[in-house]
Amino acid sequence: MPPTRLAAGASIEALKAAAVEEIDRHAEEIVRVSQRILAAPETGFKEINTARLVAAAFTRLGLPYREGIAVTGVSARLEGSRKGANVAVLGELDSLIVAGHPNADPDTKAAHACGHHCQIGSMLGVATGLVNSGLAEHLTGSVTFMAVPAEEFIELEWRSHQRAIGRLEFLGGKPEFVRLGEFDDIQIAMLAHTSADYPGFSIGNSSNGMVGKVIRFHGTAAHAGGRPHLGVNALNAAHIALAGIHALRDTHRDQDFVRVHPIITKGGTVVNAVPDDVRMETYVRAASVQAILEANTGVDRALRAGALAVGGSVEIETVAGYLPLRQNGALSEVFASNARKLVGEGRVVHGDHGGGSTDMGDISHLVATIQPYVGGASGAGHSEHYVIKDYHLAVVEAAKALAMTVVDLLGAGGAGAQKVLSGYRPAMTRTEYLSFMRSLHTSKTYTE
Amino acid sequence: MPEQNHASLKSAAFKAIDRARDEIIGLARKIYETPEVGFEETVTSGLVAEKLEALGLNVRRRVALSGLKAVRRFSAASPTIGVIGELDAVRVPGHPDANPETGAAHACGHHAQLGSLYAVAVGLNIPELSGPLSGSVAFLATPAEEFIDVGRRLQRRESGEIHFLSGKQEMIRLGAFDDVDLAMMVHTSSEEPSGRFIVGGSSNGHLVYSVRFTGRASHAGGAPHEGINALQAATVALTAINTQRETFEERDVTRVHGIITRGGASVNSVPAEVIYEGRVRGRNLAAVDKVAARVERCFKAGALALGCEVQVTAIPGYLPIRNDPAFDEVFVANAKAVAGAGSITRQPYDDTRGGSTDMGDLSHLMPVIHPYVTAARGMTHGADYKISDYETAVILPARVMVGTVIDLLADGARLAGEIRQKHQPAYSRAEYVRLQTERLRTIQYRGQ
Repeated sequence: MPPTRLAAGASIEALKAAAVEEIDRHAEEIVRVSQRILAAPETGFKEINTARLVAAAFTRLGLPYREGIAVTGVSARLEGSRKGANVAVLGELDSLIVAGHPNADPDTKAAHACGHHCQIGSMLGVATGLVNSGLAEHLTGSVTFMAVPAEEFIELEWRSHQRAIGRLEFLGGKPEFVRLGEFDDIQIAMLAHTSADYPGFSIGNSSNGMVGKVIRFHGTAAHAGGRPHLGVNALNAAHIALAGIHALRDTHRDQDFVRVHPIITKGGTVVNAVPDDVRMETYVRAASVQAILEANTGVDRALRAGALAVGGSVEIETVAGYLPLRQNGALSEVFASNARKLVGEGRVVHGDHGGGSTDMGDISHLVATIQPYVGGASGAGHSEHYVIKDYHLAVVEAAKALAMTVVDLLGAGGAGAQKVLSGYRPAMTRTEYLSFMRSLHTSKTYTE
Repeated sequence: MPEQNHASLKSAAFKAIDRARDEIIGLARKIYETPEVGFEETVTSGLVAEKLEALGLNVRRRVALSGLKAVRRFSAASPTIGVIGELDAVRVPGHPDANPETGAAHACGHHAQLGSLYAVAVGLNIPELSGPLSGSVAFLATPAEEFIDVGRRLQRRESGEIHFLSGKQEMIRLGAFDDVDLAMMVHTSSEEPSGRFIVGGSSNGHLVYSVRFTGRASHAGGAPHEGINALQAATVALTAINTQRETFEERDVTRVHGIITRGGASVNSVPAEVIYEGRVRGRNLAAVDKVAARVERCFKAGALALGCEVQVTAIPGYLPIRNDPAFDEVFVANAKAVAGAGSITRQPYDDTRGGSTDMGDLSHLMPVIHPYVTAARGMTHGADYKISDYETAVILPARVMVGTVIDLLADGARLAGEIRQKHQPAYSRAEYVRLQTERLRTIQYRGQ
């Protein structure tokens, strides 16, 4: 570790320059961590080896950390010299499952088709920049580096089981972090997400919230050739339910960005038996909580209609998903000013509403939050074509922009953070959040 | 053999028919050119009445709105043989001879039945028969055999004009068949080769539905989310019904089919009222009821999926026909005498043809036969159904029916008595009226 060269009372610009210099110096190492994670993808709450890489990096930086938070999460804190705001810099540990992806795990089909491996790289890049430059003692407040599990809301049946056996309550990593108090002393949260849509950075994007649903249609098995009239076809129930869901689409308002996109995870057992056990998973997404709940009512009716039509039953478990993302405007502007310095004026844009969902949305209801996007990827997100073409932008430049923003917030006595926080009112307290999330969880069997 | 015994009587009767041949065929052609749908056959009924009155028969008009009845008495009042002709046309707007306004067309050959009915009256009107035949012949022209225009007929029912929705059902209820001991009619068929009689067989029973989905209108472009789409509810219901088809057992000869008679008011308004008219057919009432229960679930499911209301009116349709084998034998003997020994195709009595007729209802009260004469071309109820050989379609069956009546009523009506004796009626008129009245049900369901 090089000796601290920063003079007492160093300017914000000097602090930023020091952080950037350290990030550049370790650029190759930071990118290598991302690429190692790319090569060994793990899905949510199973990111054991990914978490180990993060822990090892914290160890190298001399940062004390805690691990095993929400099963696989890791958290480390860098204290400034004076008390002040606590800024969280986040990276997501988990991968998706995309069988055809060039970097998919041949056994599990897990693949980093959403660029989370770059987030871990950029988060560690920020840590490297701030620690190695020794600028912590010039900061008022602290920085918490979080490697968070399970942002992708997948494998719902498995996660539901984890909840049943008490390992989880919520099915996403950040809601679990909130439940466990990891955000209790955080005032500001930042995460840079990769994107294939932008040449540089995008700020201010909003996103849909959602609930998850685990659905099971129960029918009656019978020989599909010999005695189909004695069966109750659960796959047909699902088929009718899907028709019902689609029939409702013209009632979705444009401004609500409603998305309902089910998959069938079990469509029958053997082809010569009438399917008696058919399972679906879906999200119901929309831009506001009210729109989610309204659309969800329609989806539930359609599911019940499927069961009613065939004379079977349907078990609907609705689980709390994520809240819509509402980025903090003042904080976005701080980030944007740093991003512009790095990539130029024309390569930083204001983003639109996206139909996807993230548990950073939940965090955005509790603390001042930004989730800027950084370019460098290509291909459709969540597809086998999504790959990182420009690691320098996606990881290194992202780390610099985040580190510079931390300096703006916590340098100069923490005036930047105070400015952001003075204009910020959280939408919910932690208690309100948890009770709302718990109210979303319902489980009911319908036999009409 | 009876046909030899009564050969001279038959020969005299046939000569009378031959003399009136052009007039008989002229009547059938005239009716063909004046197609009218059920309960509205005023012109048709008037044409038949005039002809029968010209023979000196006393005609009771307007039985069941547009039906008629005339009785020719021989040397005793009873037994009475009913000879039936159906008055109504079906709606096939694409038929070349359809009424351009109503779309009504004789695409089922009922006009030929009326020609035959008149021919039988002509043949039996000769004085030579008055002494030898003991009993009477009742000529019954029955309205509304085609179970169509259900909405309009339900209105007639509400206004008290009718109680049942078909002509023979109504005429039974009104007592028009009370003095009839055996009844027959011959229906045309387009099966090949021409000039044959198909004897035996059965028909499907059915239950008729009038289903009204009620949603909420709104601007389809401006505020589709404010509406509740009744047409979508109907399509979900129909999709659901289609998934049930795999549960239909072949031996039941199940048929489920329908039309949408109101599918919305204007294309730029979310459809608030959709009316479906359909029916469930099967070889017996148990088979019908089994499927009806499933179909009714599907109507509800459509309403549930969209959150609208549905009113399902189940209307008593027809009972499967039970042709009387002993009665058939008398007909067969006469058909062989008239058309040759090879003119008979026999169909097993449990072999349903898939369609339905209200002769089925009558067959539950008395011995009935409903043979077919192959004399048409094209598809029944299709745009190409056409009779061009009126000799075969009208005169030939009339001769067979005349011979049959003579055999039944000659020798002190011995044969008619034997057939009546052997026959076990399924219901009395009162029992029948109760059964059919009880089949009428209305289900009101609100999907929520």
